[in-house]
Amino acid sequence: MAREVIMPRFGMTQEEATIVRWIVQDGQQVEYGDPLCEVTTDKVNMEVEAPADGILGGIRFEEGVTVLVTEVIAFILEEGEAVPEVVNTQPRGSEKKIPLEITRGEKPVKATPVATRMAEQAHLDLSTIPGTGNGGKITRQDVEDFITGQMGEVKVVGGKVRASPAARRIARERGVGFDKVRGSGPRGRIQGWDLNEMRKTKDTLSPGRQSAVIQLQGIRRTIAERMQGSWQNIPHITFSLDIDMSRAIAMRQLLNARLDESEGTISISAVLIKACAAALGQHPLLNSYFRDGEILMHPDVNIGLAVALEEGLIVPVIHHADRKGLFQIAEEVGDLSRRARTGDLQPGDVVDGTFTISNLGMYAVDQFTAIINPPQVAILAVGRIADRFMPDETNRPELRPMMTITLSVDHRVVDGVAAARFLSTLQGILETAGAQWG
Amino acid sequence: MLTDMNLEVNQHSVVRELTYAEALREALRQAMQKDASVFLIGEDIGIYGGAFGVTAGLVEEFGSERVIDTPISEAAIAGACAGAALTGMRPVGEIQFMDFVTLSMEQLALQAAKVRFMFGGKASVPMVLRMPSGSGTGAAAQHSESLENLLVHIPGLKVVMPSNPYDAKGLLLASIYDNNPVIFVEHKLLYKIRGHVPEEMYQVPLSETKVVREGKDVTIVATSIMVARALEAAEKLQEEGIEVEIIDPRTLNPLDEDPIIKSVVKTGRAIVVHEAVRTGGYGGEIVARIASSEAFDYLEAPVRRLAGLDIPIPYNRELERKAVPQVEDIIEEVRGLIRGAY
Amino acid sequence: MEQDKPTAIQRLTKKREKELLEMIGKQQIHLTLERMYLIRAFEEKAEELYGLGKTHGTMHLSIGQEGTALGACTAVKSGYDYLLNHHRGHGHCLAWGGGVKEMMAEFMGKETGYCRGRGGSMHIADVERNNLGANGIVGGGLPMSVGVGLSIQMRGTDQVCLAIFGDGAANTGPFHETLNMASIWNLPVIFLCENNQYAMSMSLGRAFNIDYISQRGCAYNIPAVTVDGNDFLAVYDAVMNATERARSGEGPTLVECITYRWRGHSRSDRQLYRTRDEIKEWREKDPITRLAGKLVKAKMLTEDEQVAIKEKTRQSIEDALVYAEDSPAPDVSTVMEGVYAD
Repeated sequence: MAREVIMPRFGMTQEEATIVRWIVQDGQQVEYGDPLCEVTTDKVNMEVEAPADGILGGIRFEEGVTVLVTEVIAFILEEGEAVPEVVNTQPRGSEKKIPLEITRGEKPVKATPVATRMAEQAHLDLSTIPGTGNGGKITRQDVEDFITGQMGEVKVVGGKVRASPAARRIARERGVGFDKVRGSGPRGRIQGWDLNEMRKTKDTLSPGRQSAVIQLQGIRRTIAERMQGSWQNIPHITFSLDIDMSRAIAMRQLLNARLDESEGTISISAVLIKACAAALGQHPLLNSYFRDGEILMHPDVNIGLAVALEEGLIVPVIHHADRKGLFQIAEEVGDLSRRARTGDLQPGDVVDGTFTISNLGMYAVDQFTAIINPPQVAILAVGRIADRFMPDETNRPELRPMMTITLSVDHRVVDGVAAARFLSTLQGILETAGAQWG
Repeated sequence: MLTDMNLEVNQHSVVRELTYAEALREALRQAMQKDASVFLIGEDIGIYGGAFGVTAGLVEEFGSERVIDTPISEAAIAGACAGAALTGMRPVGEIQFMDFVTLSMEQLALQAAKVRFMFGGKASVPMVLRMPSGSGTGAAAQHSESLENLLVHIPGLKVVMPSNPYDAKGLLLASIYDNNPVIFVEHKLLYKIRGHVPEEMYQVPLSETKVVREGKDVTIVATSIMVARALEAAEKLQEEGIEVEIIDPRTLNPLDEDPIIKSVVKTGRAIVVHEAVRTGGYGGEIVARIASSEAFDYLEAPVRRLAGLDIPIPYNRELERKAVPQVEDIIEEVRGLIRGAY
Repeated sequence: MEQDKPTAIQRLTKKREKELLEMIGKQQIHLTLERMYLIRAFEEKAEELYGLGKTHGTMHLSIGQEGTALGACTAVKSGYDYLLNHHRGHGHCLAWGGGVKEMMAEFMGKETGYCRGRGGSMHIADVERNNLGANGIVGGGLPMSVGVGLSIQMRGTDQVCLAIFGDGAANTGPFHETLNMASIWNLPVIFLCENNQYAMSMSLGRAFNIDYISQRGCAYNIPAVTVDGNDFLAVYDAVMNATERARSGEGPTLVECITYRWRGHSRSDRQLYRTRDEIKEWREKDPITRLAGKLVKAKMLTEDEQVAIKEKTRQSIEDALVYAEDSPAPDVSTVMEGVYAD
């Protein structure tokens, strides 16, 4: 039974691809997954793989030809099988698609069929959408860009960001930059509401504002881009340390015993936050922002605690953690976690963090490395507390509750010694924890 | 719909409807009854009743000495108002079409507007000059003008544009009793619209901007007939979930700008709509004020102007309609702004 | 009255001169002469100040025209009646009883000037005494005189309005509108044309196709007369008659006074349009020396008295200068004051 080899779509907005070279020739045997040909979209070179075992036959396009996505380019045939007929083909070859002329009023608007359909679904007037295709033709990409506002570069030549006055004010007020903020306005303009994109609230799309937008891009997509950006731009160095949590645990139990049920409990996370806040007080360099080549020593210690949600990660912040007592921190941690899960966090809950703790201790993770949240310069990844055998004073094995913490720092700001010292301080705080913390 | 705008209905007044023209007439009559210093002067305002019927019946009531028909002499009409106002009277002159105010310009701009200032504040010119403006009657280029911005540009003059019958009467009375020369601009197409007008003498303060309709999504600043068109557009847009806030300055100069600024801070988006031609029109003044106020930091999009095309008013009815903003233009503009087209 | 031909210059008989002098009386005529000397001295001082850079802008001197100024302003009741005049108005203001101190201070832009330094030479007004201002626009005051006339009629007083304008104004549009309106409504206005035979560089012969501006009166059915503007008594007589007409409700009169200005139109005038001989010829018709001569002949003035008057006026000017120089300039922070009345 012949299998069609189609030109796949590699990216969401891709409409066509050009065959660069055929790796396998007509009549050759291939296995499922073998690369058959190399193609290029305007962004990247990809390989088309065999969808089945068999013999490659019926190659329909030569090298250098541009083909529409989902078009049949070849077949995988069984031994002795004939090449099937292909019916209902679209115009092909290196000639571009015939533009569809849509006349609205006096002005004829050229757009691809896909673009037209998308615009109709979004209730958009094609004549208001700028086209970047041949002769100003509107492509699917153009319509999507129009909807999501990503025409061209967000950063205009000269390093200036296209942003509305409202967005600038909000950014100014929060002390944050426009890096990694994606603009939903026309031509990629950053709007005020884009700065709140990490906020998960029910009325992100008030009907009056964005009635044309069909879909959110998704927190996950945003997170993905931020992660990539951070990893690519920040030179991470990581340091791990095992911490003996016996005293911290004991102290926690003692304090929890004093609380009645309605007051909740003190979590390990709360303890960690308090400890880090204290350590940061002695090592302010790890509490700074690195932005535009400048280290900004932040006056406040605002510790974010990463919370995992279905859609991705969110980091509510305990502001002024250095000035709050353990009970208060615990209460806030509980409240924020709860609200994060029910989707009731406010913009103010997630802003102005200066240091982040990512605690996977409730899962089966001993150690991991976290990615820094710019403009912060450090992040602490915390594994689970597990009993391990450690040598006691007489070098005999003793079971102790150990926790591995891994500090990632921005090497442009923090060097190894500074990081080590911080960890040392933190270790000291945790390993000598006592009731005085209450 | 228009009666909804009259929020200041006096509890004791009888709810009655008058046309815009009748409201103006009532203001004139009541002022002349109360005050011997008020008189009317203009072309064909006596037995003819005024080109648009505003002064009908007044010469019969007050006599031709107080309702004075003049020859065709716009400069002298304006000057006569200035001279009479300088010497103890409160004249209300009428220029038959705003287009003809160009013939009065010297007396308005160089005499009436400036006498007080030039004389060190020792004189005042309490006159009103009323004039019908605007297009839509097929009267073509020389009888359809909206020239208010020429007069806004002259310090010493006040420029008032009522958009509905209630404001028409209240603003006219306030203008008559204001001690400055007031240019009172009435859109021809408004004369026949009806609205609630209290019977008693009341004033709508000059230089008091009104929020005619509240909304959270976009601010529309509209003058004269565009207020009614904006309201109509707002009804339609509400069905699409877009809530429009409409602001009527009423007095163009001196302008009470605070309500406009506050509104734009709230909505982040603004459109100015007026009939007068876009280039050099009043919209530019509003946009500039918004852009240089604290509202700038709350803008999510550029402030838009919807105004007359930069052409004289054409004779052909279709072209005439196209020349100035209509309800559908306002709707489209708002939609575009909300969708991020700008 | 003799008349050479219709609308020719009307000359006084000797008998009439005698009558007038008796009517005016010695005391009053001395005051008149003193005022004429005052104007002359004031204008000469103003010229000097301008040359020294102590006053700025522009200046229109009326040296040589004192006869018309006094003849007109003393024939009405200055302070009761109204005055509107033109840009060459220092003389009229003084003839109306204005103060040299306040005028000098105004020229220097001081707070104590008639217009608090805001008006300057061309806009001097003394509103309290019904001097409704000099005017920077040729013919600018004429339409306002219609309003003043209407105001007088409506208030039912026997005031009159003395509207002084030049030969140049007689060709402006508003002049015609004004005369027509004054005529149809029988307004109590005296249209006094101070014909100094040049509108800047435009001579009478080139600007008019008629011999006398008084000929225009008949176009509007307004009685008109032309007199020798440098003959104080002739002007006085003609204006007095016109005033009586106006007060008794007989309507407007046009009085043309032929005179001559000794200096250029303004300070920057090179006077290429007239000859030195012509100027010399007219200087010999100096209105002050002519009046003084008549008074001496009529034994109403001695040499000593004349010297005393001259000295007195000289002193007034000096005092005024000191006053003006010592006066404060306006406070810059008050720059916005006086645009609008409350």
